[in-house]
Amino acid sequence: MIDKKEDIDVKLIKHIQEGLPITKTPYKDIGQALGMSEEEVIQRLKKLLESGKIRRLAASIAHRKIGINANAMCVWKVPKERVDEVCKIMASFEEVTHCYERPIYPDWEYNVFTMIHGYTDPECEAVIQAIKQKTGLDDYVVLYSEKEFKKVGVRI
Amino acid sequence: MILSDTDRKILHRLQSNLPLVSRPFLELSKELNIEEDTIIERIKFMIENGYVRRLAPIINTQAMGREATLAAMKVPEERIDEVSAIINEYSGVSHNYLRKGKNKDIPYNIWFTMSAKDDEELHRNLKEIEDRTGLTVRSLPTTKKFKIGVRFKIY
Repeated sequence: MIDKKEDIDVKLIKHIQEGLPITKTPYKDIGQALGMSEEEVIQRLKKLLESGKIRRLAASIAHRKIGINANAMCVWKVPKERVDEVCKIMASFEEVTHCYERPIYPDWEYNVFTMIHGYTDPECEAVIQAIKQKTGLDDYVVLYSEKEFKKVGVRI
Repeated sequence: MILSDTDRKILHRLQSNLPLVSRPFLELSKELNIEEDTIIERIKFMIENGYVRRLAPIINTQAMGREATLAAMKVPEERIDEVSAIINEYSGVSHNYLRKGKNKDIPYNIWFTMSAKDDEELHRNLKEIEDRTGLTVRSLPTTKKFKIGVRFKIY
């Protein structure tokens, strides 16, 4: 059962997930559309950010369009007991935008996933080499995207 | 590439939180030393011309009570378009790529992320894709997150 507060938050997110109005007073304009005050919109967004339901209220940039053309999904085989240590090192690189641990299967032994973004392929490759050197890991695969079928932000 | 230094400055700042105040772009104008009107105009330009996808909340699916996973499939070459179209039909699918291993062969070629309102719906959708394609879907949900922050160096 969804409580009422949550319901309004969901309504608010649904209203702005395609984009905030780019006006001098965006929160007031959102409030007007939803029948709430500017202050209520601001307070709700504050709470959603604090609780982590919203990671950021920020721009999603089309990275290819601004010249960040290279990306590599690099997967690593990391011994279970080294995952925390190694992932902290990986995450410390600015070019590593995502670093996750995922389950393994008999036909899939790569448990750590990193997403690396850069302006060029050599820039991504240099990050991979630096990670190898800093962690001593050697078993990895670079998965490059040959074709993009869909890429949209997460919506609720 | 027609972004000015002003645009880049704005773009860089916009990857972090927009201030939660009545006039957020006025606040940015003080930080960046760029006129409020200019900021608004340039953001509109960058959205209209596709440099910025949108200025909006970036939703944490799990914190919203949703379940998500990264799924991988081994799809025969001649069925890639057909199968990827089936996957794209699901609104919870946010990314869908054909990927190949650069330095090693890997057992899967289609990789997609899917979220759903709960675990039950997620698994029902994955099972449905298996049934509709006759292929296995390997689900690789995150067990631990170390970094998620798609902010780019803008220069």
